[in-house]
Amino acid sequence: MFCRNQTARATVARGSALEMEIRRGKFRKSVFLDTSQQDSDIQKKIDHEIRMRDGACKLLAACSQREQALEAAKSLQTCSTRIMAYMSELQRMKEAQVMQKVTRRSSDAGPMDDRLPCKGKVAISDLRIPLMWKDTEYFKNKGELHRCAVFCLLQLGGEIFDTDMVIVDRTLTDICFDNTIVFKEASPGFELRVELYSCCSEDDYSAGSTPRKLASKLSSSLGRSAGKKLRAAMEPGPCSPISNGGASPLLLPVPSVAGPKYHLLAYTTLSLSNVQDSFRTHDLTISGNEECSYWLPLYGSMCCRLAAQPHCMTQQMISGRLKVKQCGGDPQSSTKVYAVLKGTSLFCYHQQEDVEANIEPAFTIAVNKETRIRASEKDPHSNVQNICISNQYGGEEVTHTLTTESREDTHRWMEAFWQHFYDMSQWKQCCDDLMKIELPSPRKPAPATPKQGSLYHEMVIESSDDLSSTVSDILARRMQELELRSQLGTSSTWMSVFEENSACCPHPCTSHLSGPRPCTLHQLSRSPVSPHRCPQLALLSSDASLTSDSDSHRSTSPCSHHHGWPEPSSNFSLLSSSPSHLRPRTLSLDAKLSTLRGRGYGGGGTFHCSCQPPPSSLLAPLPISSRSPRSQRSTQTTLSCSSSTSSNSSSNSEGSHSPAEGAPFSRPSMARRSLRNLRARLDPRNWLQSQV
Amino acid sequence: MTPLPSSPHLCFSFHSPVFLVPACLLLKMPVHCQRIEIQKLQQGDNLILGFSIGGGIDQDPGQNPFSEDKTDKGIYVTRITPGGPADVAGLMMGDKIMQVNGWDMTMVTHDRARKRLTKKNEGVVRLLVTRKSLEEVVKQSMNKYPRQ
Repeated sequence: MFCRNQTARATVARGSALEMEIRRGKFRKSVFLDTSQQDSDIQKKIDHEIRMRDGACKLLAACSQREQALEAAKSLQTCSTRIMAYMSELQRMKEAQVMQKVTRRSSDAGPMDDRLPCKGKVAISDLRIPLMWKDTEYFKNKGELHRCAVFCLLQLGGEIFDTDMVIVDRTLTDICFDNTIVFKEASPGFELRVELYSCCSEDDYSAGSTPRKLASKLSSSLGRSAGKKLRAAMEPGPCSPISNGGASPLLLPVPSVAGPKYHLLAYTTLSLSNVQDSFRTHDLTISGNEECSYWLPLYGSMCCRLAAQPHCMTQQMISGRLKVKQCGGDPQSSTKVYAVLKGTSLFCYHQQEDVEANIEPAFTIAVNKETRIRASEKDPHSNVQNICISNQYGGEEVTHTLTTESREDTHRWMEAFWQHFYDMSQWKQCCDDLMKIELPSPRKPAPATPKQGSLYHEMVIESSDDLSSTVSDILARRMQELELRSQLGTSSTWMSVFEENSACCPHPCTSHLSGPRPCTLHQLSRSPVSPHRCPQLALLSSDASLTSDSDSHRSTSPCSHHHGWPEPSSNFSLLSSSPSHLRPRTLSLDAKLSTLRGRGYGGGGTFHCSCQPPPSSLLAPLPISSRSPRSQRSTQTTLSCSSSTSSNSSSNSEGSHSPAEGAPFSRPSMARRSLRNLRARLDPRNWLQSQV
Repeated sequence: MTPLPSSPHLCFSFHSPVFLVPACLLLKMPVHCQRIEIQKLQQGDNLILGFSIGGGIDQDPGQNPFSEDKTDKGIYVTRITPGGPADVAGLMMGDKIMQVNGWDMTMVTHDRARKRLTKKNEGVVRLLVTRKSLEEVVKQSMNKYPRQ
């Protein structure tokens, strides 16, 4: 296949992952002969994927939790598939290059003006695979539910994406993948291969001797015959799965790592005919049978929304200055316009600047499947050909004549129109109307979490991409800075929110003062029903407030106080207002107010943090997942400020009526400790929480 | 002259909800079932509800500070954003979410629960929640934190 006199050397970078793989005997070096720019791009990609795969292997070997192992195995599978695809692409390019050289020599130039249709974006979203559990499944009481971890691998051309992993058991009626996957460069003849991989989620992975044996058996067998076949001849696209006990056909010889392994459960191929702007059902081909550990009773179909946006619909095909004349009108009146061909119309603007300025075009000429365009006879005087565009508007034929500035322009425009029509004929129903593709919102990088070790935690934080939590995090950090710089009463815009809250806080307090009430009532009102609750300050403030509380008790409440949260049940704590600040306080239910009243605390209000001037040198960095525990306190409203004992009602009223006067309410260490406890218990490292 | 008693006036409005709760207690109902309808709020590109959840069949139920039964793998409300849609609708911290728009939430993974609440095409979520009676909650706290 290769010319004998080729002396080019392979230029695989030394020390690169690719070189290592070659050394390991996985790839033949000869594959990398004669590198060019394209090839080096692919090599870079292969390199990257190999590194990712090695990383995934290491992670798999190192992780202990099942979810982590499953995620790592999924990454491994994806990387392997990508490597295979890139390898075969590289192979094809090599062959094409060689063929080119051969054909050039034989001067057998093929048809040079093969028109190629434009590419487009193809998006698949809202994948749903229904399951069909048998009745017996529901009555099986074999202890734990039989669970499988599943994900989908989607491949189009050279792009391979995977969906998130979903754990499936008999409580689910469908497997739903909420990801939207967009393939950027798809040709109209695309083949989108959807593969569903599943892995039983109950095996003991660490002691897997059988899986390892299987893996090595697979790797050796694939490495010889099947592997070569795959590498040399495989097009990224539909391929018959190798019936090898249900093993994945795209599985590269992986370094055998003990851990969960995914198997191909079902697959299907989608193409242009399946594209539609709404949901459709497609058939799935199921591989594997009931005996397999990774088996799931699939109904046999898959629903999804497959949309395509060809570039001819979204991009400008051609633009330029024209003179347009409508036939039937005054032959002298031709309008000078700046025309843009895009989608199914030719937009004619008065000036070129209008296009960027998003001003409405002067008029629009339809260019769709019904349009007829032809070049008119050469005008003997000016020697310029005109282009006639005819459309049927409700039975009437309307023709526009376009005159360009030069012959070359005419040729250009005609060429563009031909290409446009060709594209529309190739993309068929996608060119009727522009299909909407919802781009997945960009994932915000997870804020640097100080102690997050678990991959699973990181995954969830990323995907929640909740603006308000990010904002809260930022606010929390700013709070910290404020505290540390002991800047009093700096009111940034967001502080005013807090101020409002504190202003209204006293009211519920006062409401209770009208008469002595039994303890229980106040406790009941700990979380009053809807609107009467004081709007609470989010999260952060409570943390700062905690620290400011502790300023009198530095020694007793060290940095770790922010871990402490009381049980919500015990959170009838009330921080009474400090003498000089508008911060009502909450007191612990168990606090003995009489004993603590004397000690003037520096204000531990839930509602106003920055007012306090605590030099919080002890303020430990707030845990980033501040969303969870931070505003626990906020739900403990000042309602209970009236709190507990009627004996304190008078002082309470003082405190609440005019917080500025302040009441000598103290923050018992009890509340702090219980606060700490709850916050520790709500630590997302121990127990995952998500903001919705 | 209309008396301007700030406190009694507010007392009146603020007390009504409070009075409802003790009635529930009097009936000695161990749990308080409630239907809560939350209108999602548009915040930039997102529709938010304004609360946080914890729990799920893939989580460790022993870590749940709100559940009575420490093998309960249900979905609990762990935080309410003050003034947010959930707050306005009356959702409370510690509530256990049983259903969302008719979908069961007692046997779902954490991520499925989160996704069930954050469907982009839904502007309203109707939750069925259960709430521990406050008496029990008080009792628990008393037991855990004995007076010094």
